[in-house]
Order: sequence, then structure tokens, then C-alpha cells
Amino acid sequence: MLFLPTWPTDCLKRLDRQLKGPLVLYERIKGGLRLAAVDAEARQAGLSVGQNLADARAMVPDLVVREIDRPLLEAVFADFADWHSNASPLVAVMSHASAFGDLVLDITGVAHLFGGERAMLRLLLTRLRDIGYTVAGAIAPTIGAAWAVSHFARSQVVEPADLETILDTLPVNALRLSETQIAGLNQMGLKTIGQLRPRERKPLQARFGLSLLERLDQALGLLEERMMPRLPIAERYAERRFVDPIGLMDDVLMTAHDLAIQLAIRLEAEGLGGQAFHLFLYRVDHKVMSLSVNSARLTRDPEHITKLFSNRSERLEGEYDAGFGIDMIRLAVSSMGELDAVQLGAFASQDGTEDLDQLHDRISSRLGTLAVLRTQFVQSHVPERAARLVPALAHVPTASVRPPLDLVRPLRLLPRPELVAINAEVPDGLPASMIWRRVGYRLVKASGPERLGAEWWRSGQRLQLVPPHVPKRPEPGEKPEQPPYIPDLVLLDPDGMTRDYYNAEDAEGRRFWIYREGLYGETRWYLHGFFA
Amino acid sequence: MPSPDRQQRIAALRDRIADIERKPALAEARALVREDVAGFPLPAGGLLQEVFTDERRHAGAVLGFALAQARSLLSRQRPAVIYLQLVKDAQEMGLPYGPGVLSFGFDPDALVLVRAANMMELLWAAEEALACKAVAAVVADIAGHAKILDFTVSRRLSMRAASRGCSIFLLRYGLLREASAAHLRWRLVPTSSARKRFDPLAPGAPRWRAQLEKGVLRKQQTEWLLGWTKDGFTTRDAARRHANRIVAQPALPGAVPAHLADRLPETA
Repeated sequence: MLFLPTWPTDCLKRLDRQLKGPLVLYERIKGGLRLAAVDAEARQAGLSVGQNLADARAMVPDLVVREIDRPLLEAVFADFADWHSNASPLVAVMSHASAFGDLVLDITGVAHLFGGERAMLRLLLTRLRDIGYTVAGAIAPTIGAAWAVSHFARSQVVEPADLETILDTLPVNALRLSETQIAGLNQMGLKTIGQLRPRERKPLQARFGLSLLERLDQALGLLEERMMPRLPIAERYAERRFVDPIGLMDDVLMTAHDLAIQLAIRLEAEGLGGQAFHLFLYRVDHKVMSLSVNSARLTRDPEHITKLFSNRSERLEGEYDAGFGIDMIRLAVSSMGELDAVQLGAFASQDGTEDLDQLHDRISSRLGTLAVLRTQFVQSHVPERAARLVPALAHVPTASVRPPLDLVRPLRLLPRPELVAINAEVPDGLPASMIWRRVGYRLVKASGPERLGAEWWRSGQRLQLVPPHVPKRPEPGEKPEQPPYIPDLVLLDPDGMTRDYYNAEDAEGRRFWIYREGLYGETRWYLHGFFA
Repeated sequence: MPSPDRQQRIAALRDRIADIERKPALAEARALVREDVAGFPLPAGGLLQEVFTDERRHAGAVLGFALAQARSLLSRQRPAVIYLQLVKDAQEMGLPYGPGVLSFGFDPDALVLVRAANMMELLWAAEEALACKAVAAVVADIAGHAKILDFTVSRRLSMRAASRGCSIFLLRYGLLREASAAHLRWRLVPTSSARKRFDPLAPGAPRWRAQLEKGVLRKQQTEWLLGWTKDGFTTRDAARRHANRIVAQPALPGAVPAHLADRLPETA
């Protein structure tokens, strides 16, 4: 469970870097303007949610005020939640208190990927804190307990054994109760859960309704609580359970092959194929290991799928740990699409693209997806932006943005240009000698310059997470809205980034692509590539 | 009862099959080299070729030589060339650059880059790529001398290459030559480029001096002064003053649009 108490203000501050100082968001409730969200600074100044806006302004004169836009914040928070599926596939937004701020992750069988629960929690929290969110988190056996701990205690991992002792110290507010229920409990003198737990259940139910007991049982794990994951889970899978747990990787792969055949028969009957296959190994000691492989095109070929898994398994030789054995294996498929039955052989196309895709899959499954790359052209004249290396699995040929054939471009490009020392016979003349990697070169032939300017239209660009702000017309009697802030990003200096490229050849026939950055004063030379 | 003439033909065919099975690669490849054409005899597919160059800064030349040969091996059935490199060598040697590959005369869509973390994985990927029947050639860029790349490994690669008809180029650097089962071993050095029309100061089309250290392509010739244009290899003989051109198949699929204005005039 992750709890972001000041999400609305943090989010706005992230979107707009110039927002500083105590920030509050207000909303119109029954004709009055009430605070709906306050940031940490405003909270320190004594402001709280639900306060009257006029009072708040009186208390803190330099208050920055915005109207809350709930649908927008909800949408941004939903995306934010989906992003967390990199931590766990099952992510849900807890919306009973507020539509943003509470995030539930089911990390069953996931924590080991991050080096344990403690390390995972630390990672999740620090990566959010690093980008400026206030966040608290807790890992607990039940959703209710995790909510309680993340809201009312320090961020920690709650072991099942100390669940009750930790919960007992928390106030009753931690049970996700309604205002009236809390007020009633406080009247009875029941301040903490520890005081509430030993009480007779019947009278409590009579006075506060069933929901109180339900929340209490959910927090203690006596009653199951379900979460609604935001992302769909794989719906087609085949699984096999074992009477005696298995441990050898070879056995696992043989089982995967059998499961792939089962799955292929089902997929074939439905005319479907998949691109992503996941093998879940459920260990006896309640842990799950997962292996995933991807395929460039829709497939259900069991041999191919098994091959991919066996390649993938070779990569984790050291990490594979069956523990006390594996008692269930599940093969799931996702990214499905329609794949009609095809007759192979006689009428198959002979152009070899299918073989090639399978080769990409096989190599990617062992070396990683980012190891098999193809060139994707981008409409840009800046050399390092003009061609991108994208995973072959995700490559889309773009014939339309191909650069013209007669451009002078090197066969090899250095990922980072290297600083060189250049001497020219006359200022702004062709380069005559070069020192690169501590070796001198006498340049006998050269052509250029080819002047490539910086992309000035990208200079002021910033991350657009939300639609642009449209100012509303002020109603009579209302103050006109403040204009949106302009972010204080460093503006690009087109002159300083302009490059003059030269194609130079040394006395022995080596051909280099070098450039001078900058136009006046401080100019520097770089080596960027080699010609054939 | 088949006629004696037919029996003879069947026997000859059987011999030929036996020959192919026993000695798969070079004898056959030499038969496939177009002997009649003067100039550079392009080797056929299915060979393990080592391309040595003395220094790492000649990386562009060896890649160009390998891609130039690989281009003639591309076909509809074999539409791809796999380039292999260790991740740690990328900054030192540079990565093949799409627009540059295109202006060199090679279709960048046909080039797949594989970046391996260590030599073991690189060799595994090379073997896997050789086994694929859609790959025309594998270009392995090996900057250092790895212990793992020994005679056994090169023998393995050469057998695999010969049996699948897919060529593999090992780009090697330095003066050290290890024992290997390569069919051809080249020593390649760049030489000063061809003259550019209208601009004697500018570098023109690339030229390399290729020396065949191992294997035979043509009797009594082990050294070529090769040039490369978008249309194919050119050779320069000292005796004959003019260039002989072999036109390989067109490099880029589809029509190439003509430019209205000359973007980079040759006098630039």
C-alpha cells in the first residue's frame, strides 16, 4: 500500500515548476469555498483540509491558491497507478476515501524480484520521493492493515506475526470508518484498535452497524478483501500441479513444453495466437517465480515457445532457485490476437521473414530484448537523432522518413562524440591535423563544412502530462484567474549548439567525420564517426 | 534398363553430391566465383571469412568490406544480415549508423544489430543466426583476442556456415593470427580514397588494399586494390589503367526518388 497524502499539490508542483510556497487547492462546497488539499508547507502553517478559504488566506497571507480539478487529478493518478505495474501486475486504486492518493499493489510473488519486501518498499518509496512526492508505504498481510499502517504509522513491513500488536497501537481512524462511527467510538472512550478489539461484538454491531466489524475483520485478515486490479490479467493459461514437487530446470522446461502444447490446442480451436508468454513457477514455500518471453509475431507454436523459455532459462542459471520444490507451473499468454489456422509447407511464403522473426525471438529471449536492435529513422537532421536503435521485436519499417541517399554520413557512429584537438591552416579553414586518443593524424583531404543547426523548435519543450491550461472567463464579481506559469527551463542556445561537420581523410586513408561545435569564441572539436 | 549415357550422368551426380558432403565449402565456392569477369572475384555464401586489419581505428574499413560482400549475398529468401558486437566495444569501435549504412549502399532495414554482453553469448548468437535460413551473412565484430575463440570454435562456425550456406565474417584487429578454420583470411588496410570529381581536396569513394592470407580465390592472385561505389566493387590493376567494375545486384529495394536539387554538390 502506498499513501500519498499530498498527491494533488505534489502533482501540480511537478507539472508546473514555478509553483512555490504554501499551495492549497479549494473546492466549492454548499456555496462556500473550502480547502480540498494542502501541501506540506501549508500544513505546517496550520492549515487543514475542510477549512474555509477566507480563514486560510487570513492565516497565511502569501498563500498560493488553485481550484481543484478532480477529474483531471483522477486521470493523472490512474496513469500513475498503471505505471506501478512495473512493480507488480496487480495494481489498484483505493477510492473509498479519495479517488487519488491510495495505491494498492498485490506483491504476492513479486517481492523477490526486488530483493525482498523491505528492499522493494524502500525502492518504491525512494523513487517517488526522489521525484518530489510525499509518500508513505506499508507492506502488510491484509489490505486493511496496510492502509492503517501507511496512514497512521511510519513506513514499514508488517510481518504476519506482529500484525495484531501493531494494529492495537493505532487509533480507530485507521479502520477506514465513517466520521460518525469515529465520533461515536471516541465518545465511548475507544481511542485505539487495541481497546476496540476485545469488546463484545454484538453491542458494537448494534450501535455502529456491521461495517465496523467488517473493517476490523478485514484489517485482521479474518475476512477476505478483494482488490480490483486496473490492468487485465492473462485469461488463457494452462497449468499443471505436481504431487511431488519438482526442482530441476529440465523438468520445468519439459512441463513448459507440455503446457505449451495444451495451450496451443486451445488457442488453435479459438483461432488465437499470443505474443507474450509467461511461465509462473509456484514454489512449495508460497513463492512464485516468473519467466516471460516475447515473440515478434503472433504465435502458438509450442516448439518455438519452449525454445524461447529454454533460452530464457539459460540466462538466469544462477538466480534459479527451486527452494523446496515447485508444486505448480502455469503458462499464461497475453497480448493475444486473432491468428487463423495456416497451412505450412506448400503455400507458405518463401520470403524468410517468419524465420527471421523467430530468430529475433530466440536471440532476444537469451540476450534480452534490448540486445537485438534495428534502425528506425526519425525525421530529424541531428545525426544522433536521425536514427534510433529500437528492439527488433518492436520495429516498424519507416520508408517515408528515410534520409536522402546522397548525404555524407559515416558507416560507424560513436555513441558519444569524442573530444579531439584540431589545427587548421587558416581560421575557419579545412582541418589539417588532429589528435585523437593521444595519436596524431595529418589530414590530407577534407570536405565541408556541412552546417547542422540545433533544433530550436524543441528548445522550450517540457513534459506534457496534462492537457494545456485554458483560462476561464471570469464571472462578474470573481477575480480573474492568474495566468499559468512558464517553466524556468534553461533555454537552448542555437548558436552554441550549431555544428559544422567535416569529412576528413588522413595520409593513410582513414576517413573520419569530425565536427566543430559552436560558432564564435569557445568552439570545440569532436570526432563523431568513421567512414568505410 | 536405363541407357549407359544416363547411368553415367547419375554417377556423375552422385560424385558431385559426395563431393559436396565431404568438402562443402571452398571447392564449390571457387566454382561459383565468376572467373570470366576480370576484377574482384566475389566469394559465394557459406564461408567463414576472417577480415583482419592492423589497428582498431580501421574499424570503418573492415565493416565496409564485410557489408559490401554481404550485399551480394542478400536475396529474397535471405533478407537479413546480422551484426554482432560486444556491448563494451560500442564506444571504442562505434555502432553501425543507419543513414551511413544507407549512403554506403546497403539497406539498413536488412541489418540487425545484436549486442552481446560477453564473448560466449556473442558466439552463441552467431551460431544461432547461422542456423537461420533467412540470414544471408553474419558479421561479428570482435575487438579483442578472446581465449574462448579458438580453433574448435572457428571450426564449428565454419562447418555450420558451410552446411547452411550462410557466410560469416569475423572482423578482427591486430597483427596476431591464431589458428583458425577460416576458409578465407583477409588483411585489409585502407588506402587513400579515389579522387572526387571537381574537388581534389575532398575524400572520394573508399579504397582498400585487400590481401588474401589464407585460401585461394583465383590462381596466382592474392592482392587486390579494391574500390567501392554504390554499384559494387571496383578494382584497379597497375597494368590496366582503368577501373573494371563488377555490378552487383541493386542494393536498395524499391525505387530511389530523384532529388530536384542537389543537396550536397560534389564541389562542396
